[in-house]
Amino acid sequence: MLKTRLNLSFFTVLFAASAVSAAVPASTKNIPTAPDLSGFAAADMPYDKGEAVLVSWPAGPADVPGAVYQVYASSGAAWLKAEEFPAEKKFAADFELPFWAWSHDKAKHAVQLELPQLFSDFKTGMEYSFKVKYVNGKVTAESAPVKAAPKADLFNLARLNNLVLLLVIIVVFFWTVSHAKRKGLFIRRIAGLDAIDEAIGRATEMGRPIFYSTGIGAMSSVPTIASTSILAEVAKKVAQYDTQLKVPHFDPIVMTVCKEVVKQAYMEMERLDSYRDDINFFVSQDQFSYAASVDGMIHREKPAACFFIGHFMAESLLLAEVGATTGAIQIAGTEQESQLPFFFTSCDYTLIGEELYAAGAYLSKEPMLQSTLKVQDFGKAFVMVSVITGSALVMLATWLKWPLVLKVISHIFKAY
Amino acid sequence: MTFIKKHIPLALCFIFGVLTLGSYYVPNKASENYLEVMNKWENIVAGFAFLLGLFSLFFSHYNKIRRKVDGWGYSLFVFVGFLIMVIPAITSKGIQMDGATLTGLGWNYRFLFNALSGTMFSVLAFYIVSTAYRAFRIKSPQAGVLFAAAFILIVGKVPLGQIMWEKTLGWTHVGISQIVQWLMEVPVVAGRRGIMMGLAIGGIVTGLKIIFGIERQYMGKD
Repeated sequence: MLKTRLNLSFFTVLFAASAVSAAVPASTKNIPTAPDLSGFAAADMPYDKGEAVLVSWPAGPADVPGAVYQVYASSGAAWLKAEEFPAEKKFAADFELPFWAWSHDKAKHAVQLELPQLFSDFKTGMEYSFKVKYVNGKVTAESAPVKAAPKADLFNLARLNNLVLLLVIIVVFFWTVSHAKRKGLFIRRIAGLDAIDEAIGRATEMGRPIFYSTGIGAMSSVPTIASTSILAEVAKKVAQYDTQLKVPHFDPIVMTVCKEVVKQAYMEMERLDSYRDDINFFVSQDQFSYAASVDGMIHREKPAACFFIGHFMAESLLLAEVGATTGAIQIAGTEQESQLPFFFTSCDYTLIGEELYAAGAYLSKEPMLQSTLKVQDFGKAFVMVSVITGSALVMLATWLKWPLVLKVISHIFKAY
Repeated sequence: MTFIKKHIPLALCFIFGVLTLGSYYVPNKASENYLEVMNKWENIVAGFAFLLGLFSLFFSHYNKIRRKVDGWGYSLFVFVGFLIMVIPAITSKGIQMDGATLTGLGWNYRFLFNALSGTMFSVLAFYIVSTAYRAFRIKSPQAGVLFAAAFILIVGKVPLGQIMWEKTLGWTHVGISQIVQWLMEVPVVAGRRGIMMGLAIGGIVTGLKIIFGIERQYMGKD
């Protein structure tokens, strides 16, 4: 009897043990586990204006398809759902920040929360609470709430590459200016600028006016500033030859500046008696009204020379083509590369690219201004070397499968 | 006098130039507010300058009418056009739509101003044709390259050109669209980027020249 009971007990234990040993792996395979959210942290988002908070927590095996994370935020009252996303998304590695400013950790979830979008009474520096919840069917897990206060940063470290480049340019700039030579600086001839004398001489001989358009840019745009520098030199020559100059304007502020520039040019040439206040005049602040008006004037007055230098858009062809039909010598220059083909085909000379910005220094023949042309040359040399070296390194790194080198190069040459 | 006319503007230019440049690197609310204030000031100055421009316009055209210069009749249209827009604007209290109906200002804006602007824009089509004709006269090797590139693009973009290409050069198994795509993505982009880089460097140097007071011609006085 005892033997029978012992046998029964032995087989019962054996059966139970086999069932248990079979059940353990089955539970890990089929029943999802909850992640450990004890590493959940919240901190001020770096390099922002103090309106965002960064929440992060470690990624783990629980990040399976079908699972989601819900991020909650609170200003003290109720919890608001700020984000909800699939568990296998949103990692620290996804942030578009350079390697010197950010750790691209693939094993860490990171979410940037823009607080003004969540709280109407948002204040920079105020503490907010955050928590994350994991949901995968019936399996849920929630982190303990953590607090963080967004604060404004004083420097955007992501733009360090840009700042370093700017500082190098400033150093080169001051070096070239301080070494400005009185004589002997070689400057490549720019046909379009050499033709200014020819154009003004022709206008003088024919007794016809010269039209100068500064385009439709505001005074704050660099091409317009460059255009006023060229206008100053053109006005000096016009004053010298006593030719008629007409400068129709799109922007009243540009007109006011140009009035001063032209008056000063006449004064420098000691021809203030020839200066008239209506050399510069306002036409319209509407693009096509301006083009129609200037076209009409060019068509009626048949100028001997037309200058279109500054910021131009669709009106470039409207102006240049009418000028071409009147037989005027035309010199153009714009920073809008989309308009350059129209100027190439309709004008006699076109200032391409940085020639527009070099023109003022080229014409003025002032050593200090001319020396700054060297900075442009150094800049171009730097770009050329960077493009060649960068391309070679990228090709080499791709061939040898060096992802780190690729990452470093792409981050250094990127604007953030 | 030199202090007011030269040194103060240069100092202001330097201070605001450096602050604006610095605001790019400072992601602070203060730098954002500073840029906002600058924009507001620019708008205020532009508003007053517009009045100045208006006076300049009237003065210039009034003189033309008074002196009866050639084409003085066109100057009359400046005043007529001004009144045509301004009187309805005052009577309509600056509103273009009154419910579902157009006000006088709205009618003028839609059926006069927009129509005239559209007409000017459409003139571009004719000018493009005449410009293309001028560009296609091969007078130099560069013009020859321009013509060749333009011809390939025209053939590639027009259905008739594509059919002709298939009939004549289809045996090469090189599609015209592939050539067009290569032209647009390789030589065109390379040229554009070259120009853009030059412009960017030139822009930076011009900006520095203005901030540090080396370029002063825009001030109109030395």
